[in-house]
Amino acid sequence: MFVLISLCFSVMVLFCLAMKKHREQVLTQTVPNLVVLFFRPLAWLLLLLTAYLSVELFGWSIGLALLFGALTIATLLLTLLLTYRANIVPRLAIALPFMASLSIVPINF
Amino acid sequence: MKDNFRQSMKWFHTWVGLIVGWVLFFMFLTGSLGYFYQEITRWMEPERPFIEHNVSNEKLLDTAQIFLSKHAKSVDEFSIYLPNVRDQNLRVAWREPAEPGKKRGRRQSHIVDINTGDKVESRATGGGRLLYRMHYRLHYLSTKVSYWIVGFCSMLMLLAVITGVVIHKKIFTDFFTFRAKKGLLGWLDIHNVLSVIALPFHFMITYSGLLFFLFTYMALSTNLQISDDEYSELRKEIFPRTAQIESKNQAADMLDISTLYQQAKRTWKTDELLSVKVYAANDNNAQVRFVRHETDITYNPEDQVLVNAITGEIIPQIAKKYTVSGMIHNGFFSLHEGQFAGPIARWIYFFTGLIGTAMIASGLILWTTKRKPKQMKKPNGPDFGYRLVEQLNIGTIVGLPIAIATYFYANRLLPVDMAERSAWEANVMFISWAVLLIYPIFRPANKAWREQLQLAALAYMALPLVNILTTDKHLINSLIKQDWGLAAFDMTFLVIGCCFAFSAYKYKALQVNKKVRKPAIRHGSRQVTKQKNKQNEKDERENEGLLNLQQANKGNS
Repeated sequence: MFVLISLCFSVMVLFCLAMKKHREQVLTQTVPNLVVLFFRPLAWLLLLLTAYLSVELFGWSIGLALLFGALTIATLLLTLLLTYRANIVPRLAIALPFMASLSIVPINF
Repeated sequence: MKDNFRQSMKWFHTWVGLIVGWVLFFMFLTGSLGYFYQEITRWMEPERPFIEHNVSNEKLLDTAQIFLSKHAKSVDEFSIYLPNVRDQNLRVAWREPAEPGKKRGRRQSHIVDINTGDKVESRATGGGRLLYRMHYRLHYLSTKVSYWIVGFCSMLMLLAVITGVVIHKKIFTDFFTFRAKKGLLGWLDIHNVLSVIALPFHFMITYSGLLFFLFTYMALSTNLQISDDEYSELRKEIFPRTAQIESKNQAADMLDISTLYQQAKRTWKTDELLSVKVYAANDNNAQVRFVRHETDITYNPEDQVLVNAITGEIIPQIAKKYTVSGMIHNGFFSLHEGQFAGPIARWIYFFTGLIGTAMIASGLILWTTKRKPKQMKKPNGPDFGYRLVEQLNIGTIVGLPIAIATYFYANRLLPVDMAERSAWEANVMFISWAVLLIYPIFRPANKAWREQLQLAALAYMALPLVNILTTDKHLINSLIKQDWGLAAFDMTFLVIGCCFAFSAYKYKALQVNKKVRKPAIRHGSRQVTKQKNKQNEKDERENEGLLNLQQANKGNS
């Protein structure tokens, strides 16, 4: 479930980076236009991947329901962060899914 | 034309939202609590024992069977509910033989102490079930009347959701937009954000809520268009039943349930038993059904294993036959209730429910915020209608959470042997709500807001304390026993109390700031422009207060 929420968070961050006004909120440096073009397709791709993962983890019916729940929570988190702590958004978008995925990938050290 | 259309939708959204807003707030809040009704009931029956760690399912089944052989020897159908994440106690239930003239006998349900194997006598309480039943039964009204009121409000809610989408001009460009501005713009953004992020939930919960009493609302259609036979066929299609298992009236010795359980364990390849139902006990035709936690929203026949209790063989099940429409119907029910949800998903359900509650609250506040400047300029003070809305807002948005807290207080403080105790728990809740609805009449609006917020903070923070003084199932003990279900309950009270305290503090700071700022504006335009930057900073800080107020509403449970 944490994996879902954090992946959804990254999806939403990508969507929001595709929009000019939010990009200026989050990033201080300017991003080349070519890169900007990729944000939205990437977001959709990641969303598809998340949906696939959700279905794989919880089955068709519950997986889809939980996906919407995760999207809601992730968007709420992002909206609040955009308003109050916009600068940590990119770091969080990378760190969260990474940490969460550690919990489902079995690692043998 | 388009603008005209939007205007009329806006008018509709505003007034429909206002008319049913308070009832919807009540329904959403008590309904959200319903996602934790088992947990609430457990907290409200403090006589129940703490969790026992590391007890095998076989041992639990044996304990239950010994208990049943002592207390329900002649009963031929009973259920055993094993401790799980939601309810950490072992429970058994059966139906007594029907009294003459009645269709069914009384249902008996008992908690069994795992250590002693004895019955646990709990105080009389309505528990979480009474609380969540309020969201469609409205407590004091008759079933029929309340179903119609609830249906009317849900229908208007559904319309408000749809018109809301229509009048929200830039749903995608403003998807993440939350400008923490003071006053109208801020509240509008809060309302929009809360509506948009949980839109699938809002739509699902309202629509499926309407489906629950389909046959009440659509009675005309079912009565006139189809005959009784067709109707019963329709019911059968929507609520398919498994074939009744009849006893053959030949006594036979059953195998132990814990032995039979091995079959289910082997089939599932996991040890996650939720409940057991025994049919035709101690009969030649005795059967036992093992049920695990749901793995599908609609229906997964593999979640159940049916075993012959005499021979110990698995009986191949005839799966319930769902038609497509039956499946959709069942799916919507299941989505509404969220029974399939695990712990985290349950919290998400609860939280999204609170987002819905907060959305309604922000809509109601928006109504007054929009009219405030005009109303304040009136020579005789604000209109009666405006004041009424404001007072109802205060009394409901902050008053209802306090009233729910008093429901928990009543559970702990009313004498245990009181007559009609569980009815009085609810009475206490509604009396205190009534008081809190009347209170704002005698106070200026901003003072009433602040005082009720402070009261709410106090009420929720003191609950764990009262729990320590009145029972032994308090936070310290539950932490020592690692009973996370109970501990989380008390801690949630504390967190909610803190949210209210924070919003009360911020609300006060906001009021004080306003008073300080007023003379500064009079100094003349030059100074004003100079101060503008500073004021913006101030604004931002104040807006945090507004937001937190909102968050507190979200967290008020």
